[in-house]
Amino acid sequence: MHSTRPAKITSPVTTLSGGHVRTIPIAIIAGAICIGVALALSLGSEFRLKRFMYTYLSAFCFVLSISVGCLFFVTIMHLTRAGWSVTVRRIAELYAMCLVPLFLLFLPILVSVLMGSDIVYEWNVAGWTHHGEAERAAAASLPYNQLPPLEQLKGKFLNSGFFTIRVIAYFAIWGFMAYFFLSNSLKQDESGDKSLTAKMQAYSAPLMILFAATVVFASFDIEMTLSPLWFSTMFPVYFFAGAILSALCTILLTGMYLQRTGRITDEITVDHYHDLGKLMQGFVIFWGYIAFSQFLLIWYANIPEETFWYDLRFVNNGWRGMSIVLLIGHLFIPFFLLMGRGLRRNRTLLAISAIFILVMHWVDHYWLVMPQMDRAAVELSERATGAHPTFTFSGIGIVIDIACALGVVSLFIAIFCGIVRNRPLVPLQDPRLGEALNHEVH
Amino acid sequence: MVEENTNEQDSQLVGLLAQFDDPDSLIAACNQAREAGYKKMDAYTPFPVHGIDPAIGIKRSILPFIVLAVGIGAAFVGIGLQFFANSNYFDGLSPFPGYGFNIGGKPIFSTPANIPVTFEIIVLSSAFAAFFGMWGLNKLPMFSNPLHRISRFKRATNDKFFLMIEEADGQFEYATTEGQLNEWGAVAIEECRQDLTDTKLPRWLTVAGVMVAILLLLPPVMIFRAKGMTERAPRLHFNPDMDWQIKFKSQTVGPVNNEGEPLFEDMRAMRDQVPGTIAFGDLEADSEMFEGIKSDWKPEVTVTTATGSVRTSLGENQEAGGVSAADDLTKYVTSFPEGIEVNEEFLARGQQRFNIYCSACHGYDGNGNGLVNKRAMALNAAGEAGMGTRWTTAKSLHDATVKDSKQNPLGRIFETITHGRNTMGPYGAQITPKDRWAIVAYVKAVQETELKLKSDQEADDSDDSSDNSSEDDSANPRP
Amino acid sequence: MATVNPSLDNTFDDADERSPLVLGGLDYSGVTDTVCNVWEAEKQPKIWYLVLACALSLLAVLGGCLGHLIMKGTGVWGNNNPAYWGWPIVNFVFWVGIGHAGTLISAILFLFRQNWRTSINRAAEAMTIFAVICAGMFPGVHIGRVWAFYWLFPVPTEHLAMWPNFRSPLLWDVFAVSTYATVSLLFWYMGMVPDIATFRDRCKSRIGKFIYGLLSLGWTGSVRNWHRYEIAYTILAALATPLVLSVHTIVSFDFAVSQVPGWHTTIFPPYFVAGAIFSGFAMVVTLLVPVRAMYGLEKLITLRHLENMNKIIMATGMMVGTAYGIEFFIAWYSGVPWEGFAFYNRAFGNYWWAYWIMVSCNVLIPQLFWFKWCRTTPWFMVIVCIFVNIGMWFERFVITITSLCRDFLPSSWAYFHPTWIDLLMLIGSFGLFFTLFCLFCRFLPVIAIAEVKTVMPHGDDEH
Repeated sequence: MHSTRPAKITSPVTTLSGGHVRTIPIAIIAGAICIGVALALSLGSEFRLKRFMYTYLSAFCFVLSISVGCLFFVTIMHLTRAGWSVTVRRIAELYAMCLVPLFLLFLPILVSVLMGSDIVYEWNVAGWTHHGEAERAAAASLPYNQLPPLEQLKGKFLNSGFFTIRVIAYFAIWGFMAYFFLSNSLKQDESGDKSLTAKMQAYSAPLMILFAATVVFASFDIEMTLSPLWFSTMFPVYFFAGAILSALCTILLTGMYLQRTGRITDEITVDHYHDLGKLMQGFVIFWGYIAFSQFLLIWYANIPEETFWYDLRFVNNGWRGMSIVLLIGHLFIPFFLLMGRGLRRNRTLLAISAIFILVMHWVDHYWLVMPQMDRAAVELSERATGAHPTFTFSGIGIVIDIACALGVVSLFIAIFCGIVRNRPLVPLQDPRLGEALNHEVH
Repeated sequence: MVEENTNEQDSQLVGLLAQFDDPDSLIAACNQAREAGYKKMDAYTPFPVHGIDPAIGIKRSILPFIVLAVGIGAAFVGIGLQFFANSNYFDGLSPFPGYGFNIGGKPIFSTPANIPVTFEIIVLSSAFAAFFGMWGLNKLPMFSNPLHRISRFKRATNDKFFLMIEEADGQFEYATTEGQLNEWGAVAIEECRQDLTDTKLPRWLTVAGVMVAILLLLPPVMIFRAKGMTERAPRLHFNPDMDWQIKFKSQTVGPVNNEGEPLFEDMRAMRDQVPGTIAFGDLEADSEMFEGIKSDWKPEVTVTTATGSVRTSLGENQEAGGVSAADDLTKYVTSFPEGIEVNEEFLARGQQRFNIYCSACHGYDGNGNGLVNKRAMALNAAGEAGMGTRWTTAKSLHDATVKDSKQNPLGRIFETITHGRNTMGPYGAQITPKDRWAIVAYVKAVQETELKLKSDQEADDSDDSSDNSSEDDSANPRP
Repeated sequence: MATVNPSLDNTFDDADERSPLVLGGLDYSGVTDTVCNVWEAEKQPKIWYLVLACALSLLAVLGGCLGHLIMKGTGVWGNNNPAYWGWPIVNFVFWVGIGHAGTLISAILFLFRQNWRTSINRAAEAMTIFAVICAGMFPGVHIGRVWAFYWLFPVPTEHLAMWPNFRSPLLWDVFAVSTYATVSLLFWYMGMVPDIATFRDRCKSRIGKFIYGLLSLGWTGSVRNWHRYEIAYTILAALATPLVLSVHTIVSFDFAVSQVPGWHTTIFPPYFVAGAIFSGFAMVVTLLVPVRAMYGLEKLITLRHLENMNKIIMATGMMVGTAYGIEFFIAWYSGVPWEGFAFYNRAFGNYWWAYWIMVSCNVLIPQLFWFKWCRTTPWFMVIVCIFVNIGMWFERFVITITSLCRDFLPSSWAYFHPTWIDLLMLIGSFGLFFTLFCLFCRFLPVIAIAEVKTVMPHGDDEH
């Protein structure tokens, strides 16, 4: 038996209340130092510079997917008229709003593309069909030789101008969506106007379509075209599965951190964490399902222009070990960590699981991006010098990777604090607040 | 208040059943009963009422752990089943040797391809564990329950809520308990009595049950009986038109017309060839081209057909009496027949065909050391069961007798390819005549030059799968 | 039906309060009576007899076709080189897809605590089982010699000297579909036991008492039993959720592990699952709208329920549409000529009509549900849903037939012609489906009585 709580915010502190003032400069400086160190270590060698750019891209994709996942979380919660999630929705709204400044973090890559460099995107230089895996795979199936080169076929899509336009469009749409939800939600904090909820709900359906379209093509553009020959219709779903999973972990960890530091202590209850934990487990399984399906279909059909992508990740330079780490760490361990009611209601365990999943999610993007660099770098140096620089998970290379990832995450935290400023961390007057406060998992 | 079973001697008090009209008052009553010290009590509700579990003192069920254990067990069973079923490759592991399916070159035990079935087995077993585990823990089905005799209790599955305090509880005292229940807001209180007179199964039901059980045994018994005996009656035919096709079989009576008269005078279904015609595919009059036998050669013994088996028996029969038609080496052509032009292209064709059809035994260089031969000889040496003693070494094409153009003129090599010799099988059906001549040309070229065109060692290294398949064949002879 | 009684309209959108899921002021016994009236009625509505009569005659047609097929062999179908997977496989995938909605409503919506599932889950689960029966029939008879069906399972048979090939997606299908049928049946039956106990306690005839008494296993409604029952129900739901995904995923593997252009595309698993949910929900709406009108269940199966289902239909329809788009884009982007041709051929080749039926029924027509009138008007939504089912049948037809009839070798190109047996068996399978559904309505609780009570205002303190 329990008594119904009134639909009222009772926590003494509902904002960062100045806490961020110190955090922002610290995070920016830390991020700058980390990225600076990584960059400094990479200068001088084309191979290492390439590694830096790729590892930067993988770290960027990691934080991007968190924000994209949060945007999805907000949209779907409006779409389904969810009541339980109201108290954690603001955190997701704020993370989604980070998508606008995140565009700045993508600028280094976008500028390199606009400058005509193929340091990240192989397709950004004339004649790309004739090196890289394109050649290998094309040689494996005869009729390719009689067709126009892929460069000609895909050039309409893969060129720096159109790429830039598309990327700007994605960020513009995401930014608009995030702004729409956050600003209306903040407006409701002031006025308590119920019609705003109805408005957001009505708009969430068409916005969801826009979201789906942008995520599909963004995942193609930013990560899949790293290997311009390869293609998989499942790839956007894979990206999405990881994004929503990492978003759930981030929301959970942020909520726990805020509560530990004495903010919004009354609004998020163990039942919310329990439900987030359930969703996390659900999306761990979903990720595993999507990853396995994509792998199985390509492995089974064994068509050269697809299989080489997995070949890179299962044969070369210790990538096989990385793939196994991903399989066990991204699927099996979280699956068992999140299994059962007792485990999901234990805050410490849940926090450990969330941190672990986030680390694994970074590994996931690393695994998506870096083997392409490994391959491209080998081709590059073979052409130039005939030497084979080897990709290793030790030495300066891994220092670059980790420093870069930490740097990007620091900058992301700075962005988040900048977005939060003194905004309330929980919707103050949402009509479904009472429902969320009385949320109980049986 | 007692409505039924007024005869106290024939029945025993089980407990007191109190009725409530809404879930909240039931929960309140449960809480009070628990506080009053009652342990043996149960509440009955038409739907799951949340919040009542702690009120009545129910601990969380162990069911999830049962399901988890079964699920993990099922994972091993699932993997094991597939490993076992596909293990025919590893002799002796499986009592039912299977067939080594080769699917897209995937290994026999391919983990990714075994995941779906393993997953389904886990889900199925876990679902069974949850379903049957739940009924088992709930001690259901239990059809005889004194509660079902109380007419008021019928509303427990409709809209009323009940609390029963059992007589077996240490705290139970009829009057006190009844008073307490009233105090807690019971709308009505009733005795629940176990009827002692009719707790036994009626006799006819026992007999009927045994009869049904025996009858149920009959079908499996009959199936096993049928498996273990022979039967004179013809088997059932489900597809009669596949088993009895509308056609005339050989050596049978031919068709009749509407009046029942035979259509053909001799009444036979089999017909002679119409004079002046030739059967489809039989246009092979040029014996030099198609048989490798000189067109002007006339056999001394009349041989109408020249198939391998007939000839062999002829040869055996006439072994004692001089040269038989089959052994007459002069009949074979010694040069390529007309229309065959031996040039580089033709030899290349011969090499390609040779590598496909012949090299498996004779080896790429013709020294009789092909993969099949090697494997068979290895098995011979190891004395393994199966092929071992039956294998005859493939002839080396560089053997003196084979090279000798007297003993083996071109036509004889052609004939060997076409009809086989000794343990070598016939290849006439697989290779067109022109290609056979190309092989002959290639064989002669190899013999002349003793070229080591391709070392067998190389073939060994590059071609593991063919080695495997040969091992498979030899290891699992099938009747 | 067209005019909505204002007191029964709960489709308003007020963020402040949840719209009630049980209308007309029904209390607990009111709910019980409403559902039991369907079964206790002296006579079923006339339309029930009419539907049953039609369904039985179609079932007879199906029986005749099956007999003919078994006696003559599978040559009576239009399956022939190169479309060896013709009409029967299309029907199989179609029915299995429909069979996804029930477990989805019961399991996934249960896990997401979508309370509105309670009024519709029973009928949807029943529909699932009947659809899976219809689905299983097609590959079942496709094997030709149906009496040797047990070769599909890993049974140690000496004379066959062979185990099934565990690396074949078709065998995965055998496991997936049979597991799915079994688990759905367990789930359905388990959910029904408390309601059968209600029937037992209300039943007047002796035979009825005996049968319902046997089926209800002596259920008393003890809270100790309810406790384990709810845990088991949650576990089954948690198991059924990945299971329901796996079934259509594995069906999609049948196609996608091959190299046939148009079949080998990695998005098939989620795309097939979305399509399955899409068609399944459409079938649920198609069935429930007449059922609620026929038996006066408007207070329990409210407009809100139907509206929610229609929204899901629209959402999954757009997911399917997105998948069509991604496939087309990748077919072009991949630069693989066969892939590109396969998709061009689908839209503009000689099966263009099937393709455009599919697109208009699956993507365009559900867009009508953007309008509130369309998704809250019962007769109209049934029409839309029937179109959706037609479209989904054609989707499977397009995938199966166009790719097979236009593969790598132009010499093996052909045009698929179904035979009348093909056609009659498809129609006949509806007879089987509706016969079972009519009997279900007559003899079993069409609405989960106990579960509906938990979402009533006083039934549960959860919101």
